[in-house]
Amino acid sequence: MKHWWIVAATLAAALGLYAFEPALPGYEFEFPRDHFEHPEFEIEWWYYTGNLHDGGSRRFGFELTFFRVSVERDNPPESAWDVGQVYLAHFAVTDIDSERFYRAERVNRSGPGLAGASRLKRRIWNGNWSVDWDFSDVAGSMQRLRALTEEVSIDLSLRSAKPPVVHGVDGISRKAAGKGKASHYISLTRLHAEGTVAIGGAAFAVTGSAWMDHEFSTDSMGPDQVGWDWMSVQLDDGTELMLYGMRDRDGRHGEFSSGTFVDADGRPRHLDAAEFSLVPGRTWRSRETGAVYPVSWSVEIPGLGLSLACEPLMDGQEVVSERGSTPTYWEGAVRYSGERRDARVAGVGYLEMTGYEQPVWLGLRSNGE
Amino acid sequence: MTRRSARAKNLASLLHRLIGQPLFRDRARTSVTILAVALGVATVVAIDLAGEASAGSFRSSMETLQGSASYEIHQVGGIPEELYGELARLPEPLTFSARVEGYGTVPGTRERVPVFGVDLLGDPMLRGWGGIDAADLSTLTDSRAVWVSPALEAAPGDRIDLIFNDHAETVDVQGVLQDTQFQGVSLGRMVLADIALAQRLLDRMGRLDRIYVQVPEGGDKDWAESLRRRLPPSATLAEAGIQSRQNRKMLSAFRWNVRVLSYIALLVGAFLVYNAVAVSVVRRRPQIGIVRALGASQRMVRWGFLFEGGLLGVCGAALGLPLGQLFAFAAVEAMGQTVESLYVSSAPGSVEIRPWTVALSVITGVGVALASAWRPAHEAAAVRPTEAMARARRDYVARTSSRKWAGVALGLAALAVALCAVPAWERIPVAGYAAALALIAAAALLAPQASATGLRTVERLFALPFGVAGTLGARGLTASLARTAVIVAALCTATAMMVSVGVMVGSFRETVSLWMDRQLQADLYIRPEGLATPDQSPTMAEGIALRVEQSPHVAAVDRFRVHPIEYGGLPARLGLGDVRVHGRRAGIRFLEGPRPETIWDRLTSGDSVIVSEPFSNKHDVHAGDTIALPLGPDDVRFRVEGVYYDYSGEQGYLIGDRSNLLRYLPDRRLSSLSVYLREGADAEVARATIMGALAGSHVQVARNRELRERALVVFDRTFAITYALEAIAVIVAILGMAGALIILVIDRRADLGVLRVLGASQRQVRRLVLAQAGMLGLISTATGCLLGGGLSLILIKVINKQSFGWTIQFHWPIAFLLAALAAIWTASFVAGVYPARMAAALDPVGVLHEE
Repeated sequence: MKHWWIVAATLAAALGLYAFEPALPGYEFEFPRDHFEHPEFEIEWWYYTGNLHDGGSRRFGFELTFFRVSVERDNPPESAWDVGQVYLAHFAVTDIDSERFYRAERVNRSGPGLAGASRLKRRIWNGNWSVDWDFSDVAGSMQRLRALTEEVSIDLSLRSAKPPVVHGVDGISRKAAGKGKASHYISLTRLHAEGTVAIGGAAFAVTGSAWMDHEFSTDSMGPDQVGWDWMSVQLDDGTELMLYGMRDRDGRHGEFSSGTFVDADGRPRHLDAAEFSLVPGRTWRSRETGAVYPVSWSVEIPGLGLSLACEPLMDGQEVVSERGSTPTYWEGAVRYSGERRDARVAGVGYLEMTGYEQPVWLGLRSNGE
Repeated sequence: MTRRSARAKNLASLLHRLIGQPLFRDRARTSVTILAVALGVATVVAIDLAGEASAGSFRSSMETLQGSASYEIHQVGGIPEELYGELARLPEPLTFSARVEGYGTVPGTRERVPVFGVDLLGDPMLRGWGGIDAADLSTLTDSRAVWVSPALEAAPGDRIDLIFNDHAETVDVQGVLQDTQFQGVSLGRMVLADIALAQRLLDRMGRLDRIYVQVPEGGDKDWAESLRRRLPPSATLAEAGIQSRQNRKMLSAFRWNVRVLSYIALLVGAFLVYNAVAVSVVRRRPQIGIVRALGASQRMVRWGFLFEGGLLGVCGAALGLPLGQLFAFAAVEAMGQTVESLYVSSAPGSVEIRPWTVALSVITGVGVALASAWRPAHEAAAVRPTEAMARARRDYVARTSSRKWAGVALGLAALAVALCAVPAWERIPVAGYAAALALIAAAALLAPQASATGLRTVERLFALPFGVAGTLGARGLTASLARTAVIVAALCTATAMMVSVGVMVGSFRETVSLWMDRQLQADLYIRPEGLATPDQSPTMAEGIALRVEQSPHVAAVDRFRVHPIEYGGLPARLGLGDVRVHGRRAGIRFLEGPRPETIWDRLTSGDSVIVSEPFSNKHDVHAGDTIALPLGPDDVRFRVEGVYYDYSGEQGYLIGDRSNLLRYLPDRRLSSLSVYLREGADAEVARATIMGALAGSHVQVARNRELRERALVVFDRTFAITYALEAIAVIVAILGMAGALIILVIDRRADLGVLRVLGASQRQVRRLVLAQAGMLGLISTATGCLLGGGLSLILIKVINKQSFGWTIQFHWPIAFLLAALAAIWTASFVAGVYPARMAAALDPVGVLHEE
């Protein structure tokens, strides 16, 4: 569940909505095909987050996101520059010990190879920010993540410890009431990461764990939703958890919130809204935008005997839009501590909160229908 | 302290009495001298200002959106856009920014509007620029949306019709850019479109014209080297703004030529200051004697007269600066036209007075005045008190021990000849300028003798219409020969300048005209309706050539395409011609290489080119040499088969066979077509048929004669500034003559008084002065003609050849010369009118009493 929804929906609406496939139950997933683009769906994103450390004391968080928004589906382009797809990307690095947060964004069309998500090339890229898949290793697929700005860069190899998880029920992750108000949502919940983080010319050899989300859909949001809170959890007992709460106008999580628990063997278990609670705690106010985010949360899942406290590794992890066309949100590295079936557990993950700077539902309501 | 202040007071009082009062008393003379200096200064200032404004930055309109890029990438024929994708994916912290560039032509007014194609969605360099509203992405799918600069004066919702290459298009104004500048560079009139649209409008599908590169600040990484390694050899990386620098380099020769011409106008002013101060010295001989007798040192006297010269210079400079600005407004257009038609399409800047301009006017005005006053001041200082008191001499005798000075003059002339053999320095013919100066100096030294001889000759001539007034006039001039000589030198120099430039331009025009007669053999010429600029040629679809070929009147069609290229750090053009047609039919003349048939054969058989004479001279490339051009995956080596005469532009040309070069430059669009008709076909009928067949395409079909006429119009426009400069020099000289005659009248008023007392009528006195004016004019124009002939040789054979690289056949433009000389001569009479009236109005008794 990602905020890019909004950008995507806004853009698609602005550019003229064309007929695309809705996400319907019974979709047959096939890998590696479904790791790459689905132009028959209007909106698609690949979302990488992770917690890294250099073996010593330095800890880092990173976010690298690729978005694809279809503008025109049927007209074959005359020129490479014709805007059939718009690709957006966000890149952020949290230097936890220096309390620095680096962020950058990018918008491109496919153009002459400027951006894309090609199954043929086994690559998802936006300029020189890229993910290259390698399926040659029998031990499992590898992904290489590369992104850089003038200040900061990452170059990471990711190896998945578990097979892909398909969220939701019957191949769709429902977001709102109505046919097609859903997405196809895949995650790689435990990626062993290894590589380099460079900040201002200083390079750090890092390892850690990362998470990939890949989601594609067409017009899936409901009109009364103002935003959402999403979190990924990687616990030290080998299990993972994904939860999102769709916030209604009154600020409460509605019935289309859901989640997935992944056990140590990689078996997913769907959690519907009634099975968990997300309670906001301490807030942090952004000096830049004035938005107030609940940066700590408590999570209760009675059915799993799981209770967790979520705390940010740094408060200031707000991704502020450089241009007016994209929303501002909070996306940052967090840590978890708590109990599972009376045993102490701890973990890391990422927290995303949207719709706090301004009510995003307005844009959605005017464009979504 | 007191002593020093007392001395200063003495000096001030001396200056006032010796210099200030007389200057004020002879207001007419002083004014004329100041005006002459002012005109000279104004000319220099105007040329400097106009040069800066019209071409100072020499920034091509195409470089408006350069921003803070460090490098730019080009490729002959355009960059394949895939390269941009590859660069954007490089794992380096670099920012790339793609451009498609061209011009649209406004139908009707034929104005040119630069059109820029940028990546409106993703261009990182344009991000944050208050120009385009980034949120307005909906327009990206609108295939007609453009943004315009405020200077274009269009409003959102307007539709603009523009001609691109060979087609007319309508674009919709989506928005007006909020800024009038991009990172400090004025936008001027421009249209901004997304690359997708710009490629369609400008027929650049799949190609980019430029990629800018921004590198991270700081750090010591050699980005240029690192990038070059990753680029194919056909793509060239250069520092951003390279074109401006190349243009500036190419234009420097042109600017120097114009500048030197403006200095000649100043030189004419210098003769007049010299004359004015010299006259002052003579007239104030008694006063000099007195102040010397009263204890003034030689130095004080010398400084006094230098002060006079300086004062004239300061006044001249003060007046010359605003006058120069005024001239500059006129000159900027003339110079702009030259720049536009020969070099680069750049929007003229504004005429701005900068500290340097003020310094220039002071340096030239005061400097020239002081230098000119030096000798008379020296002479004044040499006056012995007794000598002055004795009133021994009424006039200064020309210190022209004629033989000695004739020797020096001959030496200078010989030096001038020798200097002609010295090659140019950085393409600036410094030695050529020195030769011209030496020749002028030689002429100035010979002026007294020439004047004396001249006066003896014309005395009889003027005796016929003017009677005794003529004879007396000649004698009077002979009596004050030194002064006469200076006036003659001034007017002679101005005339010579006019004659020499006239001869040069006339020869050039004749040469071009003859060349066109030979070269332009086709009956019809077809080109796209979009305007051509020196840095970009509009193109048309090859289908047009095919349709023309199908016409029953047509025997052959020569397809021609021009690509701008860079060679040896200078802009040049690569032409793709249909050698089988071109070689057989066009009358190209070679100055180097084997027989033309051999050259044409070789051109069709491999990687060979012919180069134009300016190219050959600029790059020292000759028949038989091999040159490398960045065209393919590797540099392609071409053999130079011949060097041919070409006057179509200062940028050098290389021409190769189209069918061969299409391998490297696959764009089949054409720049022009030469159409050869069948024997007996009527050109007008054929044109009508062809125009009918091409209906819908925006192309122009010109007949041979029309093309030639048009070319000569461009030629004349190119030399407009030159003509303007000459006119100024002549005005300065005429003014000088008026001033000199006034002085002559004032000086010789006693003689004139005697004549009147002896019975001469006012009319006779008036005629006498007029006759003197006429004689001076005649002698000056005659000598000026001779000097001008010599100078024109230097201009044609040395300065032009070294600056621009073309051979001009010498040719006397008789009609122009006769008209010019007649005009100068008439003007010299007119210059005599006021002094003549002044002389006639003198009260004879009064002036005799003064004595």
